[in-house]
Amino acid sequence: MDRHRLRRLMSALRSGIRGIRATPLIFALSVSSMAAGLLLLGTYLLVVQNMRAVIERFGHELRVVAFLKPSVRPEPASLDALRVRFEALDGVSRVRFVSKGQALENLRADLGREASILEGLERNPLPASFEIELASESRSPGAVGALAARIAESEEIDEVRYGEDWVQGYARILRAVVWLGAGLGAFLMLLLGTIVAGTVRLALYARTDEIQIQRLVGAGGLFVRLPFYLEGALQGAVAAAVALAVLYGLFQLGLPIVGDLLAFMLGRSAPAFFGAGEIALLFVMGVGLGLGGAVLSLLRLEEAP
Amino acid sequence: MIQMYHVEMRYPGETYGLRDVSVSIKRGEFVFLTGPSGAGKTTLLRLLFGAEHPSMGQIVVAGRNVSRLSSASIPELRRQIGVIFQDFKLLSERTVFENVGITLEIAGLPRRELRARTWSMLRRLGLGHRLDHRPRTLSGGEQQRVAIARALVNDPPLLLADEPTGNLDPDLALDIMDIIADAHARGTTVIVATHDPGLLERYPHRRIVLDNGRLVMDRRPDAFPTPAPQVVWPVS
Ligand SMILES: Nc1ncnc2c1ncn2[C@@H]1O[C@H](COP(=O)(O)OP(=O)(O)O)[C@@H](O)[C@H]1O
Ligand SMILES: [Mg+2]
Repeated sequence: MDRHRLRRLMSALRSGIRGIRATPLIFALSVSSMAAGLLLLGTYLLVVQNMRAVIERFGHELRVVAFLKPSVRPEPASLDALRVRFEALDGVSRVRFVSKGQALENLRADLGREASILEGLERNPLPASFEIELASESRSPGAVGALAARIAESEEIDEVRYGEDWVQGYARILRAVVWLGAGLGAFLMLLLGTIVAGTVRLALYARTDEIQIQRLVGAGGLFVRLPFYLEGALQGAVAAAVALAVLYGLFQLGLPIVGDLLAFMLGRSAPAFFGAGEIALLFVMGVGLGLGGAVLSLLRLEEAP
Repeated sequence: MIQMYHVEMRYPGETYGLRDVSVSIKRGEFVFLTGPSGAGKTTLLRLLFGAEHPSMGQIVVAGRNVSRLSSASIPELRRQIGVIFQDFKLLSERTVFENVGITLEIAGLPRRELRARTWSMLRRLGLGHRLDHRPRTLSGGEQQRVAIARALVNDPPLLLADEPTGNLDPDLALDIMDIIADAHARGTTVIVATHDPGLLERYPHRRIVLDNGRLVMDRRPDAFPTPAPQVVWPVS
């Protein structure tokens, strides 16, 4: 870019700021409508993000437990062979052997003070097992199911468990949430884009004379358009900031009220607000929307002589 | 500088702005474009800076075929042409300084040079004390001078003035003509559209006379008898 163009760019930016100052009401109007839309979108993203967190955590704890047949003698050589075989399966990250004795110890620890009920046992009733941890990419319900089936094929294995009902149920919810999110997101984007296009057009009408005169004294397309692009982008950025501020306020205010319910739904961890990545994403969406709206409403500007 | 070949401009509803006008204007000329109201003077000027496209014929301005210019190349053409509009076309929300500086801003001049040239132009036209005023707070004569300053601040090779002395009293009109003559003396090709007989009488320049869209007379200065014939057009 040569220096003349850069200067023209700079003066177009100045002109955009002047334009916003000339029609502050239109600017405020479009910012607030966009902020409302982005707030809806942000709320939705926040819910999805927290639900995702639960699924992530659940997935992390997800493991396949394969119980050995009582008839299998726990000799180190054959156990090692089994472990190597399981480790070689796709999607397995770690395999740990839990002996009958260890299983009983674990149960005793879990029972804590109630452990005395185990005192009367003559013989350890618990089977030995392999605990198979999954690589993160295999933590989908389908992959876990397939893996469990492969493991169950081994003749030394009696039974395989992996909490199948829970996995399938939660996966269904997640899928529904994601689809709903995509639909709602697309709808909101369309709505917001239309709002921005409308308000940019309002600003355009408010400055028709100015644009006409600029053209007559030799302003090129960019000189005329750039102020509006800038205005759209700025609208989007300000709207995103407003939406984030309001969302954060609501989050802080509403947390004590719905906290218990959320804690129940989300498990042990408290709901979290957006991280830097999501905040940046919302800003990018705002700016993109603002720009897109400006581009849309300026499409027809070119023809006028 | 300007060649028009058999130019016709037809507006919607079968109104003719121009009919079969052919004319050639050389670099450095000073030309009056005259004729009664509705003769097609404004139409001709608007064709020259690409505000209208001719229905027929060819127009060449500064080596560019304006009748075939793409809308992307029109700004480039307009930066070569200073236009003084009959209704001034000043930006009402901008100051006098900004209204004049916009020409240089569009040309991409450095800020400092823009400021210096705008200031000196406005001072030369006696508007040094009006820099921060809005156009509507100025008198008609002052607004006219702002419009002239905007057209001339970039030293354009071609100046088009549409009734630049239109509603001004005679003294002011002479001031304005002096400014335009000054630009001409520095090499600018000038076309002034006017139906003011006083002006025509006073300045012995080439006259192109239009009537009802047709070119009815094109006279060089040396063809004028002295004193120049008094032409009075009905004003409507
Ligand atoms: N935008 C327009 N639409 C329709 N007719 C027009 C338009 N502009 C000018 N005309 C017509 O073209 C003719 C020439 O007008 P114009 O060039 O303005 O004349 P002048 O400037 O000599 O007074 C007139 O009959 C006028 O009514
Ligand atoms: Mg006219």
